[in-house]
Amino acid sequence: MLKSVKRNICLGVATLLTAGLMSAASIASAASVYEGKKVIFIPIAMGITLTEGWSKGMEEQAKLNGFDYEVRDAAFNMKAMSEIFAKAINDKPDIIVAHNPTVQLLARLIRQAESNGIKVLQINLQSNQKSTAFVGANWSRIGKEVAEDIVAACGEGSGKSGKVAIIPGQLTAADSVMMNEATMAVFEKHPEIEVVSNQASDWEPEKARQITATVLQQNPDLCAVFGHWGIHTIGAGNAVKDAGKADDVLVYATGGGNRVICNNIEAGVIDRYWSYNADGQGRDAGTMLRLMMQGAVPPEGEMLEVESPLIVIKKESYQPQQCWDLPAK
Amino acid sequence: MDTGLKQSSKSAQTGNEPLLQSPRGGEADSLLQQWQNQLSFKQHPLEYIILGISLLVIIVFAVMIDGFFTWGNLSIIARNATALTILGCGMAVVIISRGLDLSQISVMVAVSAVFGLLLSTGTDYMIALLAAFLLAIVLGALNGWLIAYIEIPALMSTLATAMLIAGFCRWGFLQGEFLVLIPKELPEVIFLSTGKISVFPVSVIIGIVVLIATYVLLSQTVLGRMVYAMGDNYISARLTGLSVRTATVFIYIFSAITACIAGIIVSSGSGTVDFRIVTNGTLLFEVIMVVVLGGIRLRGGRGGVFNLLIGVILISVLHNGMTLLNLSGQVQNLVKGLILISAIVIDNYINPRDAETDTQGDL
Repeated sequence: MLKSVKRNICLGVATLLTAGLMSAASIASAASVYEGKKVIFIPIAMGITLTEGWSKGMEEQAKLNGFDYEVRDAAFNMKAMSEIFAKAINDKPDIIVAHNPTVQLLARLIRQAESNGIKVLQINLQSNQKSTAFVGANWSRIGKEVAEDIVAACGEGSGKSGKVAIIPGQLTAADSVMMNEATMAVFEKHPEIEVVSNQASDWEPEKARQITATVLQQNPDLCAVFGHWGIHTIGAGNAVKDAGKADDVLVYATGGGNRVICNNIEAGVIDRYWSYNADGQGRDAGTMLRLMMQGAVPPEGEMLEVESPLIVIKKESYQPQQCWDLPAK
Repeated sequence: MDTGLKQSSKSAQTGNEPLLQSPRGGEADSLLQQWQNQLSFKQHPLEYIILGISLLVIIVFAVMIDGFFTWGNLSIIARNATALTILGCGMAVVIISRGLDLSQISVMVAVSAVFGLLLSTGTDYMIALLAAFLLAIVLGALNGWLIAYIEIPALMSTLATAMLIAGFCRWGFLQGEFLVLIPKELPEVIFLSTGKISVFPVSVIIGIVVLIATYVLLSQTVLGRMVYAMGDNYISARLTGLSVRTATVFIYIFSAITACIAGIIVSSGSGTVDFRIVTNGTLLFEVIMVVVLGGIRLRGGRGGVFNLLIGVILISVLHNGMTLLNLSGQVQNLVKGLILISAIVIDNYINPRDAETDTQGDL
């Protein structure tokens, strides 16, 4: 009996040791997968909470796992962005993280990078060109959900005019293209909804303010403004507020859900906000980088995809913890 | 200032007549002559053409768009045009003196960013305002000094300072951020963005005051006369003993002050200071466009506030009408570009290159 117990204990210890050794070997092997690897992140611009949040998440993973991580800031200069991307291809990193300003701008370069064996992770804004992976919001879903909310608030039975102004960032940006399509698909089923304006603000709050002020003057019974990005929608929301229409016109926006936006929701500048939580996207991007380095391969003709969960923040049910804070540098 | 210069610079505002002409008649005759020149189609064909196009555009929009020609919409046009008008005043003075200020938008954004940062830290509004104006004066003086004393061409020096100011401000004050939020709850900010005196928005009144100040500067002051003299022939102005270097510094300080006023109005309205309008925006080109479109030549020495106003009216009306017609930004840029090219072609046809242009060249 004692012998049997001893044998079982020995067997157990041996099993544990073997498992421990195998696990250590596996960790060591995973660690070696990351060592010496290089990632270059090319954002449209640093200095905005969205890209800072993503970069923080990826940098954390780089430090934890020992791969090189570098940011090459295009600083809103589209010509520079193409050049930076081309230079990054020449530097032969393992992965390039691309933040596409439009669906076409980097398409050729993404194809070139992939054909040179450099994996491309597209973050939040897709290009026309597919690559190894994508992490980001499902724009069609956001557009559809916002449109349905607008229909509920401004459509039949609401007693409102049904007039809506849409303010995309840029008409050729992936988010604007997809949200516009999804929104219009919903509105087409609701003839009582009338889109009185659909003009891009080039992501500028002042342009969004001017467009909204003009449209509001012409349509004093406007029911909703849908800005495709929270930052430029601050300008639109302030135009609504300055016109004394804050109680009559609903201001919708989308974005990364940083504190800046929550402050504006609290101040009544933005009423309803679809957040894709940039902080969480940074964590997802970091995880995706590790998977790509481990050799994860998408199905033929597809991309590895992580869709960001959405948090819908409404003025009436707003909680401060629905937004995130970027740590001070 | 001798009478000849006074006379000649006043007439230079009015059009193409030679700068150096002998004083004639009494003050009343001179004033009459000045007004006759100002209203003469022969002297100002481009201005009349642009004014005609503006009227045509207004009529077309009034017919096509319900509610276009209403007090409410005109008020929105005026409000949206305020920043462009104020910036145009500064740029007009610089261009008339045969200069160019490519740093104007950088100064506008940098100064309003500092203003916004001070407000958000709880600094008193008037102190923040004073700090913004002082910074604008320093930046304007820097531009003027580089151009007048270091003798770097205006195009290059203001291009360099534009990058320097925007870069330093982002790096030094904003730690790389692109956006500064203005506390919209402050009563002074609310007054500036929504306040009215009688039926006129406060921002529009400020725009009108800046226009009048620019008119007075150009037509009633020694500096204004020097601006025209420098624009007409910089070397002659210098050889006649005018203190052109000091004048240059003041001209660029004036441009920076207009940038500061415009920046504070814009940021109070939108609640943000957005650095992307320096790197990405088209505002600088719009400012130069309204100045040139109204008939202020890039080679300097000609034009005035009236010309600027014509350019602002056309562009602002176009902006408003095209927004109401729901035309995309690309189409709007296309239309504005076509109008600018047409204006330049018509101007070149009406005012073919002459000995003066051949000698001094365009900008």
